[in-house]
Amino acid sequence: MIHRGEDVIIRTISRMLIPFIQIYALYVIMHGHYSPGGGFQGGVIFGASFVLLLLTHGYHDARSRVSEKTMIVFSSMGVLIYAGIGFLCLVLLGNFLDYSMLAGILHVDPAHARSLGILGVEIGVGFAVMAVMVSIFLDISTGGVLPGEEEDVGEPPVKEA
Amino acid sequence: METIQNLLSGFFLLGGVFFFATATIGLLRFPDFFTRLHATGKGDTLAVTLSLVGLAIHEGMNVTSVKILMIAVFMFLAQPTATHAISRAGVRCGLEIWRKEGKEEKP
Amino acid sequence: MDMFFLAVALGICFLVLLVLYRVVYGPGVFNRVAAISAVGTKTLIILLIVGFLYQRVDMFVDISIVYALLNFIGCVAVAKYLEMER
Repeated sequence: MIHRGEDVIIRTISRMLIPFIQIYALYVIMHGHYSPGGGFQGGVIFGASFVLLLLTHGYHDARSRVSEKTMIVFSSMGVLIYAGIGFLCLVLLGNFLDYSMLAGILHVDPAHARSLGILGVEIGVGFAVMAVMVSIFLDISTGGVLPGEEEDVGEPPVKEA
Repeated sequence: METIQNLLSGFFLLGGVFFFATATIGLLRFPDFFTRLHATGKGDTLAVTLSLVGLAIHEGMNVTSVKILMIAVFMFLAQPTATHAISRAGVRCGLEIWRKEGKEEKP
Repeated sequence: MDMFFLAVALGICFLVLLVLYRVVYGPGVFNRVAAISAVGTKTLIILLIVGFLYQRVDMFVDISIVYALLNFIGCVAVAKYLEMER
C-alpha cells in the first residue's frame, strides 16, 4: 500500500503537471500517422501520468480516480473499439479491418475512410494500454488486496531465521 | 539577420556547455551526497534552459521552437522537484553529513 | 554551423562518460540515482542537436519531451521507494 506523501512541494507540482502530461499523451495518439507516436506510445504516457498521481498522493486519496473497477471498464472498452471496427467492416461485406468499406457509412471517399479507421483503432489501443499499465501497477503495489477485503487477509508468514 | 541568429544561438549553446561542464566537475569532486546534489540539481537545470533557448533561437519563428521552449519550462519545473524528492529520501534514511576536519560543532 | 553543433554534441558526450564514473563507483544507491538523472538531462540535449544535424527537428522534439517526462517520473518513483524502505 502506498501511503500519502507528506510533502507539499511534490504534491503541488505533480497536481499542476498531470493535466498537461495527459494532453500531450492525446497529442501523441492523434498524430501517430505523421510523427513518432501512435496508440501504444500514447497509452504508455497516459498510464505514466496516472502512476505519478498514485505515487505522490497515496492509494487512499487517488482511489476515487483510478480504482481497479474503472481500469477494468477502460481496458474492455478499448478492446471493444478495436474489434468492433474490425467486425463492422466485416458486416459491410469486406475483409476484417478493411477500412475502405466504412466509406458507405461515413459518406467520404475510401482514402479518407482508411485514415479515419486507423485513427479509431489507435484510440482503442491507447485506452487498453493505459488501463493495463495502471492495473499492473495497482496489483504490484497493493499485493493483490482489494479495498474491501483487507481484514480477511492475514499477516504474511514470518521466515524462521 | 541570419548571422545574428547564428551568433546568438552559438553564444547560448556555449554557455550551456560551460555550465554542464562545471556541474559534472562538481558531481565528481564534491565530498558528500548532498553537496553533489547541489551541483547537479542547479547546474544541470540552468545549462538545459540555456541550451534549449539557444536551439529555439536557431530554429526561428516556428511551431517547433514553441515546443522546444515548452520542454525548457517543463525542465525548469520538474528537475528541482526531483532533486528535492531524492534529497528528502536521503535525509529520511539517515545519510551522514560531511563536516570539514578541524572545525568544532557550534552549540 | 554544422561543425559547431557536432563539436558541442561530442563535448556533451564526453561529459556523459565522465558522469558514468559516479554511476559505477558511487558509494550507495543515492549517488547512482542522482548521476542517472544527470545522464538523462544531457541525453535530451544530444537528441535535439542530432535532430538539427539531420535537419528533421520536428521528429526529434517529440521524443525529447517524452524522455524528459520519463526521467522525472523515474526519479520520483525511486525516491519514494527508498523512503518507504526504512
